[in-house]
Amino acid sequence: MDKKTKQEDPQEIEIIVNNIPYSLTIGIHPDQVGPSDTLAKTLRETLGLTGTKVGCDQGSCGACTVIMDGLPILSCLTLTIECDGRHITTIEGLQEPKTGKLDPLQQSFIDHTAFQCGFCTPGMIMASRALLDNNPSPKTHEVKEALSGHFCRCISHYHVLDAVLSASKKGG
Amino acid sequence: MKAFHHYNARSIDQALSLIKDHDGQARFIAGGTDLLGVLKDDILPRYPLAIINIKTIPGLDEIEEKKDGTITIGALSKLAHVAGSPVIQKHLPALVEAAQAVATPEIRNMGTIGGNLCQDTRCWYYRYPHQMGGRIQCFRKGKGPCLALKGDNRYHSIAGGKGCVAVCPSDTAIALVALDARIVIIGPQGEREIPIMDFYTNMGTILKPDEILKTIIIPPVLAESKQIFLKFTLRKPIDFAVVSVASLIKEEDGMCTDVRIALGAVAPTPVRAYSAEDMLRGNSIDTALAEEAAQQAVKGFKPLSMNAYKIEITKTLIKRSLVQ
Ligand SMILES: Cc1cc2nc3c(=O)[nH]c(=O)nc-3n(C[C@H](O)[C@H](O)[C@H](O)COP(=O)(O)OP(=O)(O)OC[C@H]3O[C@@H](n4cnc5c(N)ncnc54)[C@H](O)[C@@H]3O)c2cc1C
Ligand code: FES
Ligand code: FES
Repeated sequence: MDKKTKQEDPQEIEIIVNNIPYSLTIGIHPDQVGPSDTLAKTLRETLGLTGTKVGCDQGSCGACTVIMDGLPILSCLTLTIECDGRHITTIEGLQEPKTGKLDPLQQSFIDHTAFQCGFCTPGMIMASRALLDNNPSPKTHEVKEALSGHFCRCISHYHVLDAVLSASKKGG
Repeated sequence: MKAFHHYNARSIDQALSLIKDHDGQARFIAGGTDLLGVLKDDILPRYPLAIINIKTIPGLDEIEEKKDGTITIGALSKLAHVAGSPVIQKHLPALVEAAQAVATPEIRNMGTIGGNLCQDTRCWYYRYPHQMGGRIQCFRKGKGPCLALKGDNRYHSIAGGKGCVAVCPSDTAIALVALDARIVIIGPQGEREIPIMDFYTNMGTILKPDEILKTIIIPPVLAESKQIFLKFTLRKPIDFAVVSVASLIKEEDGMCTDVRIALGAVAPTPVRAYSAEDMLRGNSIDTALAEEAAQQAVKGFKPLSMNAYKIEITKTLIKRSLVQ
């Protein structure tokens, strides 16, 4: 047993969410992170960042997408305990913190009414943000590919495509 | 998700000793894209007490090209990394296609090639969530008969199965079979290397709970051979294959000198179409011969209820992989 406790993970991890470091202790209390907590759960229920949505909780809808170290990933299939030291950006991290000005991509979604109920929107925007960060002038098929894991029950896909292309450099 | 202990393994030895400590009641986690779904739905007959992270073991995610042309892929390489690797893109286009065909961009950023090969089946009876109206038992869960046999078989085997007719869900496995890959497994007894075809069994893989898939080895591909991977799905992204085909063809002066055809999602394991390959070797491949070979490949296949259409799709994909 001694050996096991020695090898068990550190009882504290640090994740950097929207440039703010959070020290989280591992445990079973409401303000702690359980070893089986997903990142989606931690963001929403421990840190109160409810902008990240959970649709299927199984990897098949894309609603829970956040950016981790520059890449879009699914927070519903990520264990928080495995995120020690990681940089995570959520939808709350996109607006200019001082002025409250929206990210151009967020503004473009509004301008194109690229949603109806809005449930899929944070995931769509995070995946699109990651795309534009890596590829500022994507072609239509590249936008479609980047968003291929995102499901919109309100069928706003076409408006989303327009919104992302218009926020990209080429679309101006 | 129910609670478990979690460990970050720092070395293979540590991972093996941690799993031993838990006496079969622990699981390795790689990208987690399959395992966490299984755990959330409480599918496993015994819920693990501990999860051992093997992503933290250094050196298991490297892709290398050896001097003789052999390519090795560390099992913990992410699918996006495999598909984007210049070495793989140059020599193994079928594997690029297969890795790229898996799931979605986000899942390919998370899921590993080792996890893709080891993933649990996607049979909708087996994967039925325990929390939705109670547990559905089945042969694979260790209790009762295979429910597919009397049920809806749209996505099940067309080539039989012992006890269970769920199909092998992995896309990369099919490309790797056509590429004649070998895999290296490490466990308490040491390391062993086996052909990928021997990795799969009717009920999954030969991997024991205390073993780690370490490396995938692809022997030098036949010079000037053509590789192709085709996957039929209803929606292009997200969906698992209804049928997939990977083939590797070498032709000299218009004559087929060597060929390997692998079929995916038609049986509980990947299938090599040996007899179709025999028909092609030594001949020049035209539409008529491709048609005959496709017919030969599905000879003896027996559809279950609602899946005879998969036989037609298999034949069409084989033909497309041979002549375009
Ligand atoms: C929505 C969705 C769609 C999908 N679509 C496809 C698809 O189209 N095609 C396809 O092929 N797959 C598909 N998948 C499955 C996904 O590709 C695989 O889940 C992924 O590659 C698994 O890799 P992982 O690293 O996440 O595995 P994990 O979930 O970490 O592990 C899966 C299993 O393998 C074991 N394991 C993992 N790595 C090792 C290792 N190195 N040694 C020993 N055991 C190991 C684990 O213990 C676990 O039991 C889909 C998954 C989802 C959620
Ligand atoms: S909630 Fe994560 S993909 Fe649907
Ligand atoms: S706007 Fe409703 S799900 Fe996309």
